[in-house]
Amino acid sequence: MPNSTDLRSNALRSTDLLQGTLDLLILRTVSLGSMHGWGIALRIQQVSREVLEIGQGSLYPALHRLEYKGWIASEWGESENNRRAKFYSLTRAGKKQLERELKSWERLTEAIRLVLEQA
Amino acid sequence: MLREILIRFRLLFTRRPSRELDEEIAFHLEQAEAAERAAGYLPEEARRRARIAFGGVERTREQSWEQRPGWWLEMVSQDVRYALRGLRRNLAFTIAVVATLALGIGATTAVFSVVDRILFRSLPYAHDDRIVSVGLVQSLEKQEFTVGGFFFDWRDHQQPFEAFASQGTMLHVCNLVENNPLQLGCINAQEGFLPLLGVSPMLGRNFLPEEDRPNGPQVALISYALWKTHYGSDRSILGRLVNLDGDQFRVVGVLPKDFELPTLQIADVITPLALDEAAQRKMSPGRPMRTFARLKPGVSIAQAKAQMEPLSNRTQQVLIPPPIRKDFHLSIRSVRDRETQDVQRMSWILLGGVLAVLLIACANVAGLMMARAASRERELAVRSALGASRARLARQTLIEALLLSLMGFGAGAVLAEGMLRMFLAMAPTGIPFLYRAQLDLRILFAMLGLSLLCGLVFGLAPALERPRAMALTARGSYEARRTLLRRILVAGQIAISLTLLSCSALLLRSFRNLEDQRLGLEPDRVLMAKIALPGFRYKTDEKKMQFYLDAEAAVRRIPGIEAVGWSDSFPPGGWQGGRRFSEFAVEGRPKPESNSGSSVVYRKVTPDYFRALNIPIVRGRNFTEEERREGEGKMILSRLMASRLFPGEDPVGQRVQLSLSGGGWSTVVGVAENAKNGGLTTQDDPEVYALIRNTAGEWNGQLIVGEEMGGGAPMMSVELNADPRIAGEWVRSQIASLDPMVVTETEPMAVRVSRMADRPRFATSLVGCFALTGLLMAAVGLYGVISFMATRRTQEIGVRMALGARRGDILRLVTGEGARLIVLGGALGVAIALGVTRLLKGMLYGVAPDDPLSLVAVVLLLAGVALAATLIPARRAMKTDPMEALRYE
Repeated sequence: MPNSTDLRSNALRSTDLLQGTLDLLILRTVSLGSMHGWGIALRIQQVSREVLEIGQGSLYPALHRLEYKGWIASEWGESENNRRAKFYSLTRAGKKQLERELKSWERLTEAIRLVLEQA
Repeated sequence: MLREILIRFRLLFTRRPSRELDEEIAFHLEQAEAAERAAGYLPEEARRRARIAFGGVERTREQSWEQRPGWWLEMVSQDVRYALRGLRRNLAFTIAVVATLALGIGATTAVFSVVDRILFRSLPYAHDDRIVSVGLVQSLEKQEFTVGGFFFDWRDHQQPFEAFASQGTMLHVCNLVENNPLQLGCINAQEGFLPLLGVSPMLGRNFLPEEDRPNGPQVALISYALWKTHYGSDRSILGRLVNLDGDQFRVVGVLPKDFELPTLQIADVITPLALDEAAQRKMSPGRPMRTFARLKPGVSIAQAKAQMEPLSNRTQQVLIPPPIRKDFHLSIRSVRDRETQDVQRMSWILLGGVLAVLLIACANVAGLMMARAASRERELAVRSALGASRARLARQTLIEALLLSLMGFGAGAVLAEGMLRMFLAMAPTGIPFLYRAQLDLRILFAMLGLSLLCGLVFGLAPALERPRAMALTARGSYEARRTLLRRILVAGQIAISLTLLSCSALLLRSFRNLEDQRLGLEPDRVLMAKIALPGFRYKTDEKKMQFYLDAEAAVRRIPGIEAVGWSDSFPPGGWQGGRRFSEFAVEGRPKPESNSGSSVVYRKVTPDYFRALNIPIVRGRNFTEEERREGEGKMILSRLMASRLFPGEDPVGQRVQLSLSGGGWSTVVGVAENAKNGGLTTQDDPEVYALIRNTAGEWNGQLIVGEEMGGGAPMMSVELNADPRIAGEWVRSQIASLDPMVVTETEPMAVRVSRMADRPRFATSLVGCFALTGLLMAAVGLYGVISFMATRRTQEIGVRMALGARRGDILRLVTGEGARLIVLGGALGVAIALGVTRLLKGMLYGVAPDDPLSLVAVVLLLAGVALAATLIPARRAMKTDPMEALRYE
């Protein structure tokens, strides 16, 4: 019995993610090395232990947005199964942006934690 | 940051093939499918699941694309290109819409530019809405005037005004005597006059109170034009002494460039009125003036008039002799009304006409757009089904409409400029401000706004309709609703154009009546000459008379001259001397008592006047040349005057006296045929001709420059057997040989008479032009709607024919549709026309506003054109081949 179906119901849809979080996840994922769209989606899903599932509907617009902002760059290359695929990698500007976003994410989660514990 | 800009910049210019995105998505789907297969699904199911997981491919594609910086720019340009392609494909439609819009916009802009200044635009005075013309009017002078005694009494006791001042009445010729002599127009004004208007000189200062007194310092204000052209914009003109008619005046100021007198007289020099207040108060009548005033804030003209009435009555009791008192009335008008009252009606009519054309044009464009929307309904439905978003479809329709309105606007602006030039070329003289009319940017932009609005409404309405699935298969009630709207529009167009046509027909008939009427004189081969004597060189009446007599002798020497007459005014209209009928006392009868009654034209002439203008003497005889030198007064009556003054008696030999002026008795020597003397459009007045004798006092009038008026100065009428256009040069040079300082203006009489018909000619041709344009557009609209419906019913017609309908039946079917619209629109139009033409009443001559003949002619014309417009599509429908029609679609 394939388990992806069962997981889908309690997976977080990307629309549930906080605004800007998707960008952070993509930048973080791509920072490990260049990767194609399918790979990025898969990776986020796996690493988050199937909790975060990126709706592909928003993945590609996000990828293009980041590319136009100059944070990731793309080039065509060969996939694992020898198919032509578009690989995304982090640019230097993207690296800085990732650091900034990580910091603000940490601040945000810290703030939320404080609120939850003290309230 | 810089990098980001660079990327954006690059992306603006490089078009990334959307293929790349497609490939990327395809790759993703493939991988997902492979993963599902690896999870154990059959290939079919795996593909389905992968697709479901991915969601809308098209949406993803559009959303990704929209991430691009400047994507909307690209999209708009794509839409524009698409729209242009569509418009080029439907060239006839495009041309029809653009031409209709251009006509509507062009004509409206041009006419509005002309009438704007007359009706709406503010005048160059501070508080122009509060400045009024105040004074008395009477039957011989319809423009407000005051005289010395009145003025000071009113100024001291008036309540409603915060400022009250006068200018002189006449713009008189004055001579700038210096190395470079110049004949100028001069006028007087009081010291308070410019402050009343809220005008201050652009250079220097206004008159001081001590300069506006008798024997005060002689100062002058000069016009901007004189300063610029004659003094080369030299600022050191201030304080300079200039010689006007032999007297030294110090220039104290230069008037602003846009300055104009509220009387619209064009003065080069203004000098102080310098009235002797104490003397004027006692005098009756005293110095005539044009008085203006500024209302206190919040006081209306009606209130001011009510407040002034008792004051005016009191002054009249004191200063005006009882017999003529009841002919004088107080009048207060806004300065705008004073300037433009007699052309306001014409302006409103032109404006109404052009707005009607605009309305028809809008209806036409709406009809065309609706037809296009209807024919594109299926295309839109198909595109909607293929996944184009409603916003996108609406945007495209809108862009197409906006493109059309912009094109219409561009063509309209060009047309407006052309039409405005045409108007100015054919416009009559004497319409205030017209010569200054130019294409007004505000109006042009208002028109741009209007045409964009037009595009928005007509473009958006169909775009917002949800493309229904029904549209893919058939036509339903929705379309019926839309054709109903189109039919209403067409009926409205017919109604409006019928109204326009009837106005134009009435104006045309009235104009024909004007042209065809009997003038009672023959203007061809007659030349008029106005001679302006510089007053400072011809100070005494003897000198003036001598010059005029010399001039007459000089002109008589020109070969081909048949008669040289003098008169102080010319028929058929314009300024002429006036008396009241009751002023004429007949010897042997009791003196008439009251001094009111109808007015009589009183013209001073020499014997050759009748010969030059070919006015026949029907009884008695003409004056003789000898009588000019005799002492006794002689008179000739017009036939109308003779029948009024001497009903059933022989007027010849009777003696008549002007009782008021107390002059001597004059003997009536003859009766002249009636000549038109009340202008072209009004009833003739009885007329009295008095002989100008060779005594100095009878030659003293001063010529008023730049106006139709004669001011009592003798003017020459010359009959010749040569073209008066060429002969003018001879006459001028003959007179100049006597004294080069004397300026002579000549004009063929025929030109003057035809100029008097200029204003009706202008209105008639413009309204006629609008009416024909409106008719044409209405016909096109009707044609469009009928042929559209006929095409839509092709199949039905085929069925009918297959079932045995004959061609005549089909013709009846289709024309019946048009005929219903024509009858409906026509009936509505007749009703509107009957109401609207009543407004023309004051402009019509010899034809009633509800003239049945004009109305019938117009209805027939409209019906003819409209039927022709329906017959074309009807004949086409009639020739339908039933086999083809059934397969149609």
